[in-house]
Amino acid sequence: MALHAAVKGKLISVIGDEDTCVGFLLGGIGEINKNRHPNFMVVDKNTPVSEIEECFKRFVKRDDIDIILINQNVAELVRHVIDAHTAPVPSVLEIPSKDHPYDASKDSILRRAKGMFNPEDLVR
Amino acid sequence: MAGQKDVAVVNEVEAHELLDKIIIRQLHLMEDKMRCELNIESSINNACIHLAKSRYIMGQSSVSTTRLPTESSPDFAASTQCETIEEDGIKQFSLVENNSEDTVNPLRWFGVLVPQNLHKAQSIFQNALNYVVECANVQLQIQENMKNIQAIKNYINSLNSS
Repeated sequence: MALHAAVKGKLISVIGDEDTCVGFLLGGIGEINKNRHPNFMVVDKNTPVSEIEECFKRFVKRDDIDIILINQNVAELVRHVIDAHTAPVPSVLEIPSKDHPYDASKDSILRRAKGMFNPEDLVR
Repeated sequence: MAGQKDVAVVNEVEAHELLDKIIIRQLHLMEDKMRCELNIESSINNACIHLAKSRYIMGQSSVSTTRLPTESSPDFAASTQCETIEEDGIKQFSLVENNSEDTVNPLRWFGVLVPQNLHKAQSIFQNALNYVVECANVQLQIQENMKNIQAIKNYINSLNSS
């Protein structure tokens, strides 16, 4: 148990629309570190895709982040970057938003898992 | 390493049986992941109604991104963090409360006397974090299983080619 207490907790970061960010920050996951780097990004309809990409890459590089939450509609915009991230940590979790219900067929992990069930491979 | 040794002695039929088992487990995990996502979705939908009610009471801009801290605001630590525990060689996340002094109460960003709905929204989002961590754990297991499936497929292919 002492060992557990010694391990410093890692962050959960969030990239998403206003309500998602406000909500999860209310939940207490928000942080602004000593270098003034926040662990969240609010995406609105005017946010350029390059900025989202950059932010996602920055979060992946940071070693104090374990889980990256990203709205599925935002993830769609930067799908190629998310597909390129295959390491288990940080874990990228696509979450639904108020306006965009969850679509399992778009989820990177589920698509990758489904891709393994190639019928030709499975017959004896 | 021990796992690889075990695989090395099984014949093709056994390898196929093992593959079947892992694939069934994978399908269950995928179902679990979708269930978790739907839980997150219903939590977010619920909480957003409370956020909207708070907005109605306090005014449009009082519950918005303009109230969130920016790069120019003083630094603070997250009050809810996650830690990694390794169980049987599988990494798992769990939520931990950060009790250090540099945490802030997020409700204060929105005012001193905030409506009950904002408190309600906060507790729903805090609860949603449990689903988030559960979902991340399932996702880790799915990724681990994908590696195993690939390894067994490669083994079966090597048996077939030799």
